[in-house]
Order: sequence, then structure tokens, then C-alpha cells
Amino acid sequence: MMLDRRRLLTSALTLGAMHAFPGLSLAQARPLVFATFTGSWEEAHKAVLVPAFRKANADAAIVLDPMLSVDQIAKVNAAKANPPIDVMLHDPGPALVAIGQDLVDPFPADKSAYYKDLIPEAQDAMGPAPFFQVVGLTYNPETVKTPPTSWADLWKPEFKGKVGITNLNSTLGTGWLVEIARMRGGSEANVDEGFKALEELKPNLAAVAANPGALATLFQQGQIDISPGNFNAIQILKARGVPVEFVAPKEGAIAFKTTIHIVKNSPNKELAFKLIEAALSPEVQTTLMNSPYLIVPTNTKVAMSGEIAKVLAKDTAELKKKFVFQDWKKINEQRASWIEKFNRDIKI
Amino acid sequence: MKSATAASTTAPRDVTSFSLGLALPLGAAFAIFFVLPLAQLFYLSLHNDTAATVWGLGQYIKFLTDPFSLSVLGATLLLGAEVTLACLVLGYPIAWLYQRSGSRVQTLIIMIVLLPLLTSVVVRTFAWIVILGRQGIINSVLQSLGLIGTPLRMIYTQGGLIAALAQVQMPLMVLPLITAIGRIDPNLSDASASLGAGSWRTFVKVMLPLSMPGIIAGCTLTYAAAITAFITQSLVGGGQMLFMPMYLYQQASTLQNWPFAAAISIIFLFAVLAIVALFSTLGRRARGYGDAR
Repeated sequence: MMLDRRRLLTSALTLGAMHAFPGLSLAQARPLVFATFTGSWEEAHKAVLVPAFRKANADAAIVLDPMLSVDQIAKVNAAKANPPIDVMLHDPGPALVAIGQDLVDPFPADKSAYYKDLIPEAQDAMGPAPFFQVVGLTYNPETVKTPPTSWADLWKPEFKGKVGITNLNSTLGTGWLVEIARMRGGSEANVDEGFKALEELKPNLAAVAANPGALATLFQQGQIDISPGNFNAIQILKARGVPVEFVAPKEGAIAFKTTIHIVKNSPNKELAFKLIEAALSPEVQTTLMNSPYLIVPTNTKVAMSGEIAKVLAKDTAELKKKFVFQDWKKINEQRASWIEKFNRDIKI
Repeated sequence: MKSATAASTTAPRDVTSFSLGLALPLGAAFAIFFVLPLAQLFYLSLHNDTAATVWGLGQYIKFLTDPFSLSVLGATLLLGAEVTLACLVLGYPIAWLYQRSGSRVQTLIIMIVLLPLLTSVVVRTFAWIVILGRQGIINSVLQSLGLIGTPLRMIYTQGGLIAALAQVQMPLMVLPLITAIGRIDPNLSDASASLGAGSWRTFVKVMLPLSMPGIIAGCTLTYAAAITAFITQSLVGGGQMLFMPMYLYQQASTLQNWPFAAAISIIFLFAVLAIVALFSTLGRRARGYGDAR
């Protein structure tokens, strides 16, 4: 009697699981799954990229499944032969991990109508970059009367107890450390000078946030007056009435590529390619560049306008002059040991 | 003795004699969604490299021989102890007051205790950022009273974190205490007083031992919740205060070092289990104490 019940329960559970995870039995006939990021990325992609893709592809079925890069990698890794995601979106660090773990297919650049128009930094055989994220200086214009012009301004005595940074968990935190190391003669392979600079920054540090999002809260609460910050995040804060301004430092604003990849063994490769095409197209990039999204385009055919033209760059030539790109392959090699050092040394 | 045996014959059936089959659905869910992943985690932690191909105890050796990692574990366990102590010291009087009040005040106290449970942890934590910030309530009051010149730094400090965690976890302490204190016969303290004991002595010798089961239960719950409170720890504690949940997240999420993250989880799990076991041993002894009236 007991055994029967148990067997019944097991089969019920199996049926339930198959129902809950239809991917187990129906691999082929599913819509295109695009794993974008959560938050403003999801909003922008839902409002602009998805409609553009569907219009160009006879209303093909597509599902947005927003999640962090790490989760995308974990999910694809768990089912390499039959991945639940077709298109992945990544920051530079995780992108290299995904490529290193053999989870992505090369992008068929010769088939693409837009790939050749991308600025060279955005072209990558394993997956092009449809967008840039830009990191510069963020400050509160109500308390900081003279706008900062350089990363070095963070060390000024007038900002004692007013500076916020993030730890190295984020792309922003790690990229910024590399940049201040470069400012003092270091490089992606050697950030010792950066750590020395951090040590000197300690009297000025008001907060080391656990993630870039927490920096926003600290600005709102007046806890910090100046910090490195992400252009997009700042524009969103500004639109909500928080007194913040973004400026590109004279050393150059740090540009991170956000790359888009076709997942290896995806059952929807053709549609995946079409989605990436839509993301690279000047039409989509132009819409996303304008308010309220303010996402920096990578296609040279997009004419810069609005806030981006005003604060960042008027055209591609100026963009290339004002942006610095980093070698994340080199950064990834040592990132673990930097994080360890940061954990140990940075206590305020 | 005689009355005790008489009571046991008329008492309802002992709960342990019911069929275990009733626990099967929950048991199966636990096996599939908890025990199995845990076993997988343990399996993963027994690998020396990040790709999990080489077997070995390297991750455990790395953690247990690294003074920094051990200090993170120590800081986490200490944080739990501080929060638990704060909850106990602040929560006991509330539970006490509850038992001494009329029904209207009791409803009010229960409302106040339960209210935090009805809002999300994230909201409660953000409220603490507003309270502790440079332009927060505490700083502006102190400044307007002229007690301080420049705002105090309270957010991203250990003290601020303990205050926030203590508030967030307080219901977990107060509710078991209310139950435990409610079970104490009020005549006992009167008896103690009529036999000449002062109120302090009555409290230490009578009330405290009898409420021990509630104290142990409350402490176990608060402790476990405080050390694993990832959200509050990272939002109020900030990025430079490293505790086990953030350490684990960093290794798994940023560095993709899953075997080390798995080893950290297992070590953390056993450290917490050891402390919970300690609490429950104390609880068993206290229960014997409590019954020996």
C-alpha cells in the first residue's frame, strides 16, 4: 500500500516536472529566447528591439528572459546540448567566460548587413557589441560647485569623506581600478599603482558600495557627492529628479562593450542571427540612443544627438578619441587575485 | 508520580506514533529540492579546479588554512551573536510587557511586532538607509539639537548594520518569547515574592529559567536569519564589509569559481549547524529545567 502510494507520487512528480519544464520534451518548437539584463535594459529591449525584430521577421515568436550574465552562463552550461536560451547578452568579463567555456557560436559576419558599419572596437567574431556602457565621473551639482574634470579630482582634500566607489564584484569597479592604475603608469596586467592610489583615497572614501546600483541610493541620501558612475544609470536618476551630473574625465570615459551572442546548439540559430541584426541596425540603435534610453550606439551610421552628443561625443571620431577601451582578456587573468586583495586591504 | 501516569493514559496520542506517511509529500519535496541540490553542492566542492574536473579537498584546505577566509567566517558568526544579543535584550522586555498588559495593549504590541513582517526585507532595509544616512533622521535631529557639528557616519558601519539587522529580525525573537513567557504560571512570581525574594532575584531564579525554551528558540531563529541576511548585509553593510553570504556570491557570481563557492557554502552550513546544535542542546537542558517545577 505504502509502495503504491509512493510510486504514484513519483509519477505524479515526474509529470508535474515535465509540465513545469516543457523544454524537457519539446526542444524544437519553442520561440526564440533572448536573455537580456534586468531593469532598464529589459525595458528598452521590450519597447524597441523586440517590436523591430518582430516587424522584420513576420511576427516571429520571441521571449525575453531577463537575467544576470552569470545565470545565463549557468543555465546554458547545465544543458549544453539543448540550451534553454538562444541569444545571450554579456559584459566584457562574462563574455570571455562564455566563449572560453565553448557556449557560443561565431557570429556569421559575412551574412550581416550591418557588421561592417560597426566601429572596429565593437566588431568581434564571437559576437558583436550592439551597445556601449560608459563610465565617467558622477557628482552632485548642488554640493560640488566646480565640475570635476579628471579621475584625479577624487583625491582632492575638499572631497574628504564624500567619495563613493564600488567593490570589484562589478564590471564598473574593476574597470575603474584598471583606469586609475593606468593614470599612474600601470596597465591591465599591473594594477599595483591602482591599489596604492586606493590606499591614498581612503580619507576621502565615504562608502564602498556592494554594487553600482547602491551608489545611486547613496547619492539620493546625500551620503556621497562624487563617484565613478555609469552614464545610463545616472541619466535614469537624473530623470527622477536626483541632483546628479555626469562628466567624462579628461583621461577618457571607460567604455565597456555589451556583446550579444548566438548560443551554441541553439535550435533557433537563424532567428537568433536576425535578432542580433536588428540590434545592430541603425534604426534600433537610433531609437535606443534617444531619451529615455540613452544607450550609446556602436553603428557608425547612427548620427549622435541629444544628451549623448552633448555629454559624450558628437560623432564616432570624437567617441573614439574620448573613450578608453580595456583589454578584458588580460583583466580576467588576474581579476580573482585583485578581488582577494581588495577584500583584504580596503577597509574604511 | 502517580498523577503523571494517570495523565499520560488520558492524554491524546503521542504525535510520534502517527504514520510517517503523512510527512511524505513534504519529505519528497525536501528530498528533490533540498537534499539533492545539497548533495550536488557537496560533490562540486570536492574539486580542485574551477572547471570541476580534478578531484580533491583543495578548496577546503584553501579556506581552512587562509587566515582571511577564516576571519570572514569569524566576523559573520560574531555579527550573528551581536544581533542575537541585541534582539534578546530589546525583545525580552517587550514580551514581558505583553504578558503583563490588558488585551487592548496586547493587540497593539502584537501589531507593532508583526508589522515589520508584513513589509519586504528590502523595504525595511532601505528605510534604515534613510534613517542612518548623512541627511537621515538621526543625523538631522542631532545636528538641529547642536549635539554634533558634522554628520556621523552610521551607514556602512558595523553598528549601523547591527541596528538594522536587529530591527529586521526582531519578530523572530519576540514571538517565541511571548509564547514561552505566557506559559509561565503568574502565581510562581507571587510565590517567590511571598517567600522573600526581591524582584531581581525572582527574575533571575524563576522567570529567566522558565522562559529559557523561548529564549533558545528565539536566539536560534534570529541567529540563523541574521548571518544569512544577504540583502541587509550588503545594503547597510556596504561593499567593504565582507560576510560569508557576500563572499560566497563573489566567488560564484563574479569569479565563476563554483567549487570554491560550494566549499564556502558547505563550511558555512556546518558552522551554522554547529551553533544551532549548541542552541538546541541548551534548549533540551533548559526544557528539563523548566519541567522540573
